[in-house]
Amino acid sequence: MERKRRAFLLALPTVLALLVFFLIPMVYILIKTLLVNGFADFTKFFTDPFYLNILWTTVRVSLISTLISLLLGYPAAYFIARTRSKLKNVMMIVILFPFLVSAVVRSYGWMVILGTNGILNQFLQGIGLLSQPLKILNTEAAVVIGMIHLLIPYMILSLVGVLQSIDPNVEYAAYSLGASPAKTFTKVVFPLSMPGIISGCVLVFTMSMTSYVTPKLLGGSKFRMMATMVVQEINVNFNWGAASAISYILLLTILAVQVAVVLSTSGYMKRMGGGKNA
Amino acid sequence: MREKRTGWFSCLIAVLVMIFLLAPLVVIVIASFTPTAVVTFPPKGFSLAWYANIFHSSTHFMEGLGNSLKIGLLATALDVLLGVTAALSICRYDFKGKNALLNYFTSPMYVPSVAFAFVLLQIYSQIGGVPGMLRLFIGHFVIILPYIVRNTVSVLHVFNWTLEDAATSLGANPVQVFFKIPIPLAKPGVLAGALLAFLYSFDEVALSSLLSTPRFITLPIRIMNYMELTFDPTLAAISTLLILGSLILIVLMEKFIGLDMFVK
Repeated sequence: MERKRRAFLLALPTVLALLVFFLIPMVYILIKTLLVNGFADFTKFFTDPFYLNILWTTVRVSLISTLISLLLGYPAAYFIARTRSKLKNVMMIVILFPFLVSAVVRSYGWMVILGTNGILNQFLQGIGLLSQPLKILNTEAAVVIGMIHLLIPYMILSLVGVLQSIDPNVEYAAYSLGASPAKTFTKVVFPLSMPGIISGCVLVFTMSMTSYVTPKLLGGSKFRMMATMVVQEINVNFNWGAASAISYILLLTILAVQVAVVLSTSGYMKRMGGGKNA
Repeated sequence: MREKRTGWFSCLIAVLVMIFLLAPLVVIVIASFTPTAVVTFPPKGFSLAWYANIFHSSTHFMEGLGNSLKIGLLATALDVLLGVTAALSICRYDFKGKNALLNYFTSPMYVPSVAFAFVLLQIYSQIGGVPGMLRLFIGHFVIILPYIVRNTVSVLHVFNWTLEDAATSLGANPVQVFFKIPIPLAKPGVLAGALLAFLYSFDEVALSSLLSTPRFITLPIRIMNYMELTFDPTLAAISTLLILGSLILIVLMEKFIGLDMFVK
């Protein structure tokens, strides 16, 4: 009993701080929005093609970014997890270092590279490959590039952890029993790394769905994703009802994705014997 | 036993990913030394003029840096207290609902910061007169708390608590036990969490751009505002300094706590 009381006392300040400054405001404003405007703003969102298009753009950019991050991040993570090179720590620093640099700075770097007068265009025109500058900045492609740059470290870190925990002897066993490298990968390594793939993808997808800086700086003024639209509704259109609806729809979308992933993978995780992140 | 553990394909992709990750940072550093207002490659000459421009009062970068440091350090300090006590309560004692409590402590992570910022904005406009720094501070301390809780829990949940009983039976008093056993053992997790939390606060944009008042603006917002008006290499110069700061942090981290803390 004494112990229970101590745990309670230790947890109390944090419980109260989150209650007062986080949970109560979140619930209070949701209820207030619904009481004042009812579901009008929510219905408007789901019936207006303008808003639906923003939701679809957000989901599309996030899916593409997640997929490319996985396709590039997996081999890179595999190499880092398995290499015996002395450079392994340097590689970890190279992965972690951009991850600690502000998203504004990283987007700025891509603006310098991808702009109409940017380095890429200067180079391509300089070697005579292009006569007209390529328009990449302020397109969806630029946003996807920036997003992958922002989020691929999360994917790699999730995967390195899981891949490191797979005993290389399991792979040797498969080889020695005559499995080809491709078969060893699809039958042994890939299934064992599933927990890392799932947690990495969920992380990258949700962060991409909610990202603000990258679409704002690399997408230009006409490119809209959910988070940038919330700010635009508040600061430009002064439409707080719409901003509320968009932010709660965004919140519910990412919660739904996470719940769906947990539910659909819990059976798989159990068969695979738990896994680190299960 | 085979010597070769990785194929050429994974090596190639790893190298390409690293080039991709470093490219914009390298470009920024080089661009910061160009003498011309438009960045050209290779740069025509060398100049430190843009660095001098950072300190020019019209950019407000130094003022913004001060504000960002203030918010980041204060929010991280408060959250180390809140986060470590919260993590200890979960890891030290066995009770029903431990997992629910952990999810509660980390719940701000699952809420888009722009949504939370807008909620706070509505609350502030109802109360009225909340000063600029407090408006940001409340938002920041909530959204960065999960990083400290999670990293501390990740080191404490593998911790053998019978060590505490051993120390007590050898005559240590409860205060000594607390500072000699769980605190040193939790240190790497707390440090890693505090560092991530501070950087998150320092780089945060969505929340700050909705909640800041004209009198209290953080550095990332100053940089973005500057970008909309002038796109000259002053931006590259301030960015280079921020990149340098991150580089120093990661080297210190590698030295003192190791990078394994970040591999989950």
